[in-house]
Formats: sequence, structure tokens, C-alpha cells
Amino acid sequence: MAAETDMNFQERLSDICRRMQDEKLALLIALHDGAHFIETPNPVMVLTGFKSIGAAAAVLYSDSACTLIVTPSWDAERAAELCPQARVVGTDDLVAALLTFFGGEFPQDTISEIGVAGLSFLPSGIASPITAALPGARAADKLVFDAARTKTAEEIGFAREAARIAELGYTRLLQIAKPGMTEDDLAVVLKAYMKTLGAEDNFLLLCAGPHNRAVQPSTGRKLQQGDIILAEITPSYRGQLTQICRTVVIGEPPDELSRKYELVVRAMNEGIAAAKPGVAMAEVCRAINGVLEAQGYGEYCHPPHIRRRGHGLGFASVRPGDVSLDNATVLEPDMLFMIHPNQYLPETGYLLCGEPVVITARGADVLTREQSSLGIAGRWKE
Amino acid sequence: MLTPHPTLLIGPSDWQPERMPREEFARRIDAMWERHPQAERAIVFGSSRHHAELAYFTNLVPKLEPVVALLSRTGQHRLLVGGGVNMIGAARPLTWIENVLPLKDVAAAIGGGGAARCSLVVGTAYMSVAFRRTVMEALGEGTCVQDATAQVWSRMRRKSRYELDAIDAAVKATGVARKAMREALMSGGSVTDVILAGERAASAAGAQDVRTLFSLDGGRTLRPFVVPVKQRVDPLMAYLAIRRFNYWAECFPLFTTRPESAQLHEKAWQAMGSALSAIKAGVATHEIGQLIAAAMQPYQAHPMIAHAFAQRTGLALDEPSCADIGASFEEGEVYSLRIGAMDEARGSMICSRMFIVQAAGVVAFDEGPA
Repeated sequence: MAAETDMNFQERLSDICRRMQDEKLALLIALHDGAHFIETPNPVMVLTGFKSIGAAAAVLYSDSACTLIVTPSWDAERAAELCPQARVVGTDDLVAALLTFFGGEFPQDTISEIGVAGLSFLPSGIASPITAALPGARAADKLVFDAARTKTAEEIGFAREAARIAELGYTRLLQIAKPGMTEDDLAVVLKAYMKTLGAEDNFLLLCAGPHNRAVQPSTGRKLQQGDIILAEITPSYRGQLTQICRTVVIGEPPDELSRKYELVVRAMNEGIAAAKPGVAMAEVCRAINGVLEAQGYGEYCHPPHIRRRGHGLGFASVRPGDVSLDNATVLEPDMLFMIHPNQYLPETGYLLCGEPVVITARGADVLTREQSSLGIAGRWKE
Repeated sequence: MLTPHPTLLIGPSDWQPERMPREEFARRIDAMWERHPQAERAIVFGSSRHHAELAYFTNLVPKLEPVVALLSRTGQHRLLVGGGVNMIGAARPLTWIENVLPLKDVAAAIGGGGAARCSLVVGTAYMSVAFRRTVMEALGEGTCVQDATAQVWSRMRRKSRYELDAIDAAVKATGVARKAMREALMSGGSVTDVILAGERAASAAGAQDVRTLFSLDGGRTLRPFVVPVKQRVDPLMAYLAIRRFNYWAECFPLFTTRPESAQLHEKAWQAMGSALSAIKAGVATHEIGQLIAAAMQPYQAHPMIAHAFAQRTGLALDEPSCADIGASFEEGEVYSLRIGAMDEARGSMICSRMFIVQAAGVVAFDEGPA
């Protein structure tokens, strides 16, 4: 299915510049430390499309002139190749380079016309000197990420490719997971396999046990017969993450596990059905909770058992945010996010089930070819 | 060398007491108390990206969320793990510290530490501004707080027997990876085939983490994997960093059939031999820098290693400025010595070799170019 609006990168950048003019910002400084974490948005990527190796900044003027400052200095040539629209500066000291860019000091007389995005996510070693140099600058995170609340056509294309890779990764998991293998070894092999398919990064949370309390990073624990493997398979293709959440049993699944998994899938499908333009994100969460509450699992639909039923997908913008009862964001076409009930049930433990969706005029378009069902290790469809 | 940081660290990281015994950590902590006799406790921060100091004291490398160690001179050590109570189970196998708690309780845990006479903080520059404020407020206004990060790095310079064994294992894994890369190239593999063959071989050899960069322009620049590169290049230069038992090793494999590239490579290795012969404890680092520059004449130095011809190597792949090479090489330090050259006709290259400094010379971890 094609993207709804076919917004491109340049149009989004123009939108950001318009917002800057509306807010009387002459320039905007976006900052990122290069630690590309799934939960942390990256305003430098939003403004330039560049996923840096080290700390980076993008300086955008309201006329759309942009300078990208990257570390390490030797990565400048690659940055220039990937961001032909920006002037690129390579440095090994981001703060010093920013000061140099402004002629040794920030323009104090017009400091209120400077917006800064990404400051709160930076390590204090980078953030503190910038804050000290820009005492009157305004936070501009909302401006940047409001403009990036929907994905460009290119980002949606990358998300579809990442979803394809994730599904192939899942098939490989079904093929190779077996007793005696450690969680770490399984995760390493899957990550390597998905890299051969084009995944440049992967948030692959994978753990196993007879009764999981949550999904966690893998450890050296060896898989055992009867284990339930939880996998959040989250490859990134050209900087765009997509995720699938899957549950796999080693051995024959008990009937109760199969029944409970069907319940979780039903809850997910209610969420997917509820996700439409004009609907608040909280309603998607409520639709999922409704199915589980009706089966007597109301107390497991809230903290500490569950915090959210899905989330946005970075690395650039993580809007529209969490699928949670407190998210009032109204869904729009081209919003991309995860819907994952990921529920702890006392009879079975934690179960993972989730799909990436993009909102279209007709509702949620699921990016995967085959939706979640309880997997059995060693048994897979060709 | 800086490489793209993965969003989640994936690989075997469980604490192995036979590799790094509890006594080794106790010795490190005791050394910190000895250096700071007034300190009653230390607050050591680590994230998945910056965690060398945390790993030095606790063995724990955070795979996902930040972790804080509260080390106590007289009481029980505690670890506060980010990501909520559900992450505690995954953190326990990574460390020898038994008391593991959720990080959200950090203020209470620090505040509940008693009327400490003095607290040390380590790694605060890596904390977010908000988290740093929480920690500092919990420590209380007017209390004695000392940033001991630089002193810890100073202690980390001299490697113990256990650390040398870990580095040796990492260096051996680079050998395994290079062999696999060569085989992939010989069987007609593309750039990505070669790089991924090395990564897979390293993982199969037990690597905890593998980082790679590669060159598409004859060794002039290095770049990370973004999408598969189907072409073949000659020469193919790469950067390969492998971690085992928390310790890193690095190398710059070069594969070429071009005689002019091979000649440059040979010259660099001759310079490497001269430099290693001249290094021993107490030798001024600038003398070695000059020796290498003279040996590599008339070629231009490679800009990618301009900032460090010798890089200390251990728990961090990209060590902070406080760990920069000092005025002289000192006994027990481990370095990666890097020699590079750029030449329009002969191309560009970097080679490296890891070694430990001893009183009478150096001992290299491997046998040099294969």
C-alpha cells in the first residue's frame, strides 16, 4: 500500500522552517550524542536524515540553510555524501565546533531567537556547556517533533523493508532455536542474519523461561525444553526501526498457553481495528485493554504489569508516542507505530504479540505479511 | 576508534568468576579507598555507551538502560538498574554484586546511605542533566563530593593478569575474524560478505561485541555498514574491534592484490617493528611519534589516526580524553600502536598492533601481519 500523503524530506523541512518563522526563531540547533536508543528521538536525523557515529548538531536557519556538524571529524565526507543539502563540518569536539561556528560565542543579543532541540537527552558533559553558552535559548523539541509526527514516504518505505527483514529474522528464529543454545547465542545469530538482509542496527530483546515476568535483554541462560521464548525483533533499515513481537515455545505448547495467546492476539486486533485517523491514541490502548478486562485480567492492564500497549518507531522521531491511556495524540495518516499488547498473565507469564502499523485514511495498515501467532521452535512455514 | 553504537548490546556478557574473580574487583575498590582516604562511598554511573568505569568495579556492562553502582567502604555494595524491576533478573548474571535494585530509587538509595563524610562520583559527565541533578540533590547541598573519574582512569591504565588474559582472548578473536574475512574474499565475496564473515567468525569465537568499519576508497576513509555493499574493492581495508570478557582488541585488516599497496603496507610494518623495538617503560611517547613519522617519509600521515598513533585499549573502545596517551609509556599499560600513510599513487592504509609495555620492552599480543 502506498503512503497516504507522499510527504518528502524537503517538505517536512519546509514545514519546520515555517514553524520557526511562526515562533520567531531565527535559527534552530538540534543536538544528539550519537547513542541511538530506541526510546530517544533524534532531532539531528529529523533535520538532516543523517544517523551519526558520534555526537552531532544540525544548525538550521529559517530560510532552510542547514549546517551539519559531525563527530568524529573523519566522518564528514560520508555525511556530505548523504546530506548534499547541508554544509558539513567535521570535528572531534562538538561543543568547540558549535562555538566556532558562531564566531567564538553565541549571539547574545538575539539569543531568544535561537531554539534548541535534543538538549534533555544529551549527557551532561555535552549539554552543560551548551546550556551555559545559551542561557536564553528556547526549547524547540516540540516544534521539531510536531513536524515529524508523521513519516515521510521514504521513511515508510524503509519501515516496510525493516518489517520484511524482521519477519525473515523470526522465521530464522523458528528454524534454529533449540535446547542447549544460550539466549545470547540465539540473539547474536539472529542479529547477524538480519544484518545480511540490510539491518544496520537491531533492538533485539530476547529472553526465555518457563514463566517470564517480562521481556529482557538476553543472558547466558541456556534454552530448555518447554521454554517460552520472547522476542522483540526490531531491525533498523537506513535508520528507520520497525518491530515485531513474537512468542515461541520449545516443544508442544500446552492448551492453556495456546488459548491465552489467542486472547492476546484478539486484544491486539481490537487495537489495530481501533487505530484510525481522528482517533486518540488512548482509544487504541482502551480497545486492547477492553478485551483483556472482559476476561478478568483488568488488574494486569495497568502498572506495574503494563505501562503501554505500543510505541512510536525511531530513530528520528518517536511520535506519535506510546499506545497508552494518557496519550491524547489524535492519529493521522502516515503515523507509524507499534501495537503490542505484550501482556503478563498469571497462568502463562509474559506473552509478546505485536505488529507495526502505519495509519492510512482507511485505518491501520499492518506492515507485516503474517501476523503474530504462537510459534513452535523447529516448526515453521516455508 | 569511534564506531556506530548499537541501540542494544547483544552478546555474552555474564560475569565469569574464573575470568575475573571477585578478589580482583575487591582489589580495585580497595585501591580507590586508598587513593581517597576520606571517601566513605562512591557513586559510579554507566550507560550502554559509556560504562568502562562501571565495568571496572562491577563487571556489569549495561546492555540497555543506565546502571549506578553505590560502592560502600564499610557497608554492602548496591547496584541500581534502569528499566524497572523487571530488568533486575537480566542484570544479575552480569555482575558479582548481589544487591540489585531498580534505578528509580536512586535518590532514596543515595540519601539512605547515611551521613557519609565524603562521596566520590564517577562518570557524571555521561549522566543526563536531569539524572545528574537528581544524584547531586540526593547527595545534599554542602556535602563533600569529589569527581574521581580521572583518578579511576589512571588506575585502569595498568592491567592485571586477568585483564591481560581477557585482552589476549580478544586479540585471538581478531585473528579468527581476519582469517574468515580473507577466506570470504578469496571465494569471491563482496565488501559486505567479507565484513560480515569476519563479524560472524568473531561471534562464533565467543565475542561479546564486534564493531566494524570499512573503506570503499582504497583505505582513505572508513565508513560503517548502512546497507549491503555488493561491489568488490582492491585494496579492501577495514577496522575490526572485538570485545571478549569486557575487554577490547582492535586491528585494521588490509586485503590487496596490488603490489603498490602491498609495498606501502610493508613499509608501515617495518616502521611498526622499529617503533615496538624502541618502546619500553619510561620512553617518551613523542619520541616514538617522531620515529614513526621519520620511518614513514615521504608519505603523509593518515588523518583518521592523527589524534592517536597509540591508543590505550581496555574496557572502552573510545576512551575519554583523560585516558589520552601520556608523556611516556609506562609498565603494565596496553596500547594499540597505529601506523598509517596516504599516498596518491600507492593508496592509503593503516596497520596496528597491540602490546603491553614492560620494563625492558614490549610484548605484542599477536605475531603481526599474516
